[in-house]
Formats: sequence, structure tokens, C-alpha cells
Amino acid sequence: MNWEPLATWLESTWLHNKMVEIYWLFPMSETLHFIGLTVMFGALIVVDFRVMGLAKFINMKESMKFIPIAIAGFAVNLLTGIAFLCADPFRYFPNFAFQWKMALIVIAGINALWFWFGEHKELSQLADGQDAPLRAKVIALVSIVLWVLVIIAGRMLPYAEV
Amino acid sequence: MGFLLWYENGPVGVFIRESLWGYPIVLSSHAVGMATVMGVAVALNLRVLGYAKNISILSFDKLFIVGWVGFLINLISGLILFAGSASMYFFQGVFQIKILAIVIGGVFMKFVMNSVRENKPLITQKLLAGISIACWTIGVVAGRLMAYLA
Repeated sequence: MNWEPLATWLESTWLHNKMVEIYWLFPMSETLHFIGLTVMFGALIVVDFRVMGLAKFINMKESMKFIPIAIAGFAVNLLTGIAFLCADPFRYFPNFAFQWKMALIVIAGINALWFWFGEHKELSQLADGQDAPLRAKVIALVSIVLWVLVIIAGRMLPYAEV
Repeated sequence: MGFLLWYENGPVGVFIRESLWGYPIVLSSHAVGMATVMGVAVALNLRVLGYAKNISILSFDKLFIVGWVGFLINLISGLILFAGSASMYFFQGVFQIKILAIVIGGVFMKFVMNSVRENKPLITQKLLAGISIACWTIGVVAGRLMAYLA
């Protein structure tokens, strides 16, 4: 895939200029990115551990209320992530940790959509302490594993420069 | 200072400075542990602040095991990373703030759970949860800024 025209365009954006000009904007976005990932992962622990059956003491329907929290955390990280990319696109696109991270996020996103459209309604009917179907448990496990890998790939980014 | 230099120059310090993949791997574990321990703290404190009211707060007690696993990962990975330049980190203001914030945040988690068990007024519970979540946030922000204020 030829990413260079896109990278060149990103470098001409207003956001790129701001990210480069204002010295504290990048570190501040980094702290927000970390807060966002923590909020998102914490919310996913509640939902996914309940579905996996490791936290059956949590009411299933109520645990689903943490899905919007996870989405909010993801939104913060999507926005700050776009800001990082605009700041230095020629550094990110060829970076293999970045490429892995993006691919993993896409797979995790498909997994989440499958959970929402395929499982969530049925799961919400479950009584307290009742086991989720195996299919849903697998989706929840895959979700936790994928997001852990996303965090690892993200943290590896500075060490995977080409 | 003697201890810091001894630790820094010992095998852990040498490993983290010289091994090619040692540093990124330990740093990644530190990020995963952070997301786990603070994630559980955020979820619990959101519940105490009044979100998802049908979940019993005391049932979160059991989720603490997950949080403790995250804490342990970060204690170990943190000690290894600290060995990289112990004599610098120890005197770095933002590192001191980070450690202090984590300790206070953790102690306030205990206060939050105690206030729930003892049926203290809701406003007290919420105030304690607010302080706890603020401390954890400061801990993460200060930790991230360590890289920029070295």
C-alpha cells in the first residue's frame, strides 16, 4: 500500500502544525491516551470477565453499562491517536509495531461488533450467576487478549523504528 | 544513595540497560499492568460514584484479585525499570509524585470499601472515590511525563 501521499497530506494539516508548534501538546495527548486506554481496559475487564464467567457475581445486564465507558475511552484514544499520526506520519506508517497495532484494533473492532450485534441482547437476559454460552465466552476472551496485544504493540512503537 | 547505586549497577540494572528487547518487553508489561490495576480502580470508583447501580459494590471485592495481579506485574516491572537509572529516578520530582499518588490512591481504595461496608453517608463514599480516582489519574499522568521531564 502506498501511504506516502496520505502522509504528505497529513503533514499539511492544521493539526500537524499545532502538534509540532505547541511543545506540550504531544506529551499532553500521550497522558490522555494512557488515561483513555486505562478507562477502556477497565470497562472491558468488567464486561469480558462477567461474560467469561470469571466474575459471575456481577449482574450481566448492568455490566453492559460499561460498554459505553469503553467506547468513550476508545474515542479519546482515537482522537489523540489521530493527533500523533498527524504529528509525524512518515514515522508511524512504516513502523511495524504501528502496522500490527492498527491491524489488531481492526480485528478487535470486528470482534466487538460481533459481540454487540450477535450476543449482547441474549446475554442481557441471563440471570444472576448464570453462565454465558461458550460462543460469547470465546468472544470475551478474544477481546481481552486482543486489547492486551494492542497495548503491547503501542508500547513497542518507539522501539520498532525502521 | 549508596543503595541506589548498588541496585543500578547490579545485574538487574545491567540487564535492563544492555538487553536489546529487555527494556521494551518490561515497559510493555508495565503498560498492561497499569491498564489492569487502574482499570479495576476506575470501574469500582465509577460504581461508587453512582454508575451502574444494580451491581453490588461489595461484589467488586472479588474483582480486586484482577487488580492485584495488575499491581504485582507493575511492582515487579517497575522495580526492574527503576534499576535502569535508580539514582536519577529517585530524585526526579515527577517520579516522586507518581509513587506518592499511587500509594495514596491505593489507600483511598481501602477507605472507599470501608465506607461502603460501614454504610457511611453516600456523599462520604463518593468523596473518597473521587479522591481515589484523582490520585490514580495523577499517578498515570506523572508516570507518562517521566519520559519528558528526565
